[in-house]
Amino acid sequence: MSIIDSIKSKAVRSPWLYRINAGSCNGCDVELATTALIPRYDVERLGCKYCGSPKHADIVLITGPVTSMVKDKVLRVYEEIPDPKVTVAVGVCPISGGVFRGSYSVPIMLDEIIPVDVNVAGCPPRPQAILEGVAMALDIWKTRI
Amino acid sequence: MLDMLSHSFHLLIFPGGIFALFLGLLLKGIDRKICARLQRRVGPPILQPFYDIIKLSQKETIIPETANKAIFKFAPVFGFMGMMVAAMLIPVPGVWNGATGLGDMLMLLYLLPIPAIAFMLAGSASSSPYGAIGTSREMVLMFAYEIPLLVVLLTIALKAGGAEGSEFSLAQVVAYQHANGSFGFNLSMLPAFIAFLCFIPGTMGAVPFDLPEAEPELLEGPLLEYSGPLLAMFNLMSALKLVVVMGLGVTLFFPGTIAGGALANLLWFVFKCLILMLVSVTIVRTATGRLRTDQTFKFYLKYPSVLAYVSLGLTLLLK
Repeated sequence: MSIIDSIKSKAVRSPWLYRINAGSCNGCDVELATTALIPRYDVERLGCKYCGSPKHADIVLITGPVTSMVKDKVLRVYEEIPDPKVTVAVGVCPISGGVFRGSYSVPIMLDEIIPVDVNVAGCPPRPQAILEGVAMALDIWKTRI
Repeated sequence: MLDMLSHSFHLLIFPGGIFALFLGLLLKGIDRKICARLQRRVGPPILQPFYDIIKLSQKETIIPETANKAIFKFAPVFGFMGMMVAAMLIPVPGVWNGATGLGDMLMLLYLLPIPAIAFMLAGSASSSPYGAIGTSREMVLMFAYEIPLLVVLLTIALKAGGAEGSEFSLAQVVAYQHANGSFGFNLSMLPAFIAFLCFIPGTMGAVPFDLPEAEPELLEGPLLEYSGPLLAMFNLMSALKLVVVMGLGVTLFFPGTIAGGALANLLWFVFKCLILMLVSVTIVRTATGRLRTDQTFKFYLKYPSVLAYVSLGLTLLLK
């Protein structure tokens, strides 16, 4: 039994990342997709892989304040991600609304519609902070599988 | 009865089944690691494909509401079983001569397109537009790379048949090469070998010809809607396919053995598979970008097919 458990626990070493843009200004997306997760910092050494389909994802990174137009789409894509999954909010917008706080088009915060596990603050956050957020998400993911 | 036992052993343990799965996943890991090193990255651990399989088998399976559920679930199993049978037919020179009496070369010719057909079933059953585009591209790609493969196998069969005729048994092909020298070092077979090298990235869906999956464009096409154990099944299928295609290449062109018994020959076979994979998949996919569908089709009709026909003509002339 313990052998099977130790084999099962190896699943931690294969987290696949997926990115949702919930009305972001693209600042965080630039930091995320073209600075933090590129070959220079090489997240593949942690076993991470950027995937294009929510069905393959384990760790979901969400940027942007959740605008009223994009809310339903975010929920729908989030539902398509198979369990177990970990959510990381990247940038100050999904945490508090950032500069868009109080806008007519930002009626709710992200953690009111889906459970958020890790917050990475910053406008935009530094690549190192994003990588640390991914590492923290890995620790949380360990407890879920 | 004994025959059935030995067939099940070859299907489930060696050279198909466990051995082929292990070798395929290991080769995939080495492929990813070397690709990363060529790009000056650290790269994933070599056992990464194993971790991926373990992870995927513990995830939830989501089936789209609009999908054809029976075919959606059947496609990965179909592809996986097809490749299990194909892996059983690959001879390991010096260790095992191949399943004699099964007409193996012709059977392989029919078994090799099964993963592509599984992809088409998956893409069309998943009711996703990306899957539909992936299906049509897979079909085009399959028609393109099957032509050189067919001609190469025909050339090999004619060459191995000697002066009399043709020989469609892989065991006999290996025996002929052990007696008369490997085809890979034969000048008239060189064009056929290059054609086979061109065929490998096409059938493996490696980067210059990864039309159906095309990650940045089609988001893995037919695999888009798959999750959890079913996706793991597809990963295992492509690992098995890697072993089948590399093993076929080694068998057809470099089946030489070394002294030192079965274990040494087994390692020698694995080493040759690895080298063939590095030359035809890893380096090519690191160094190139994806071609368009029409460019791929033209490429396969222009170069590998013509090279294979040149080899066929030379073989017929020298007979």
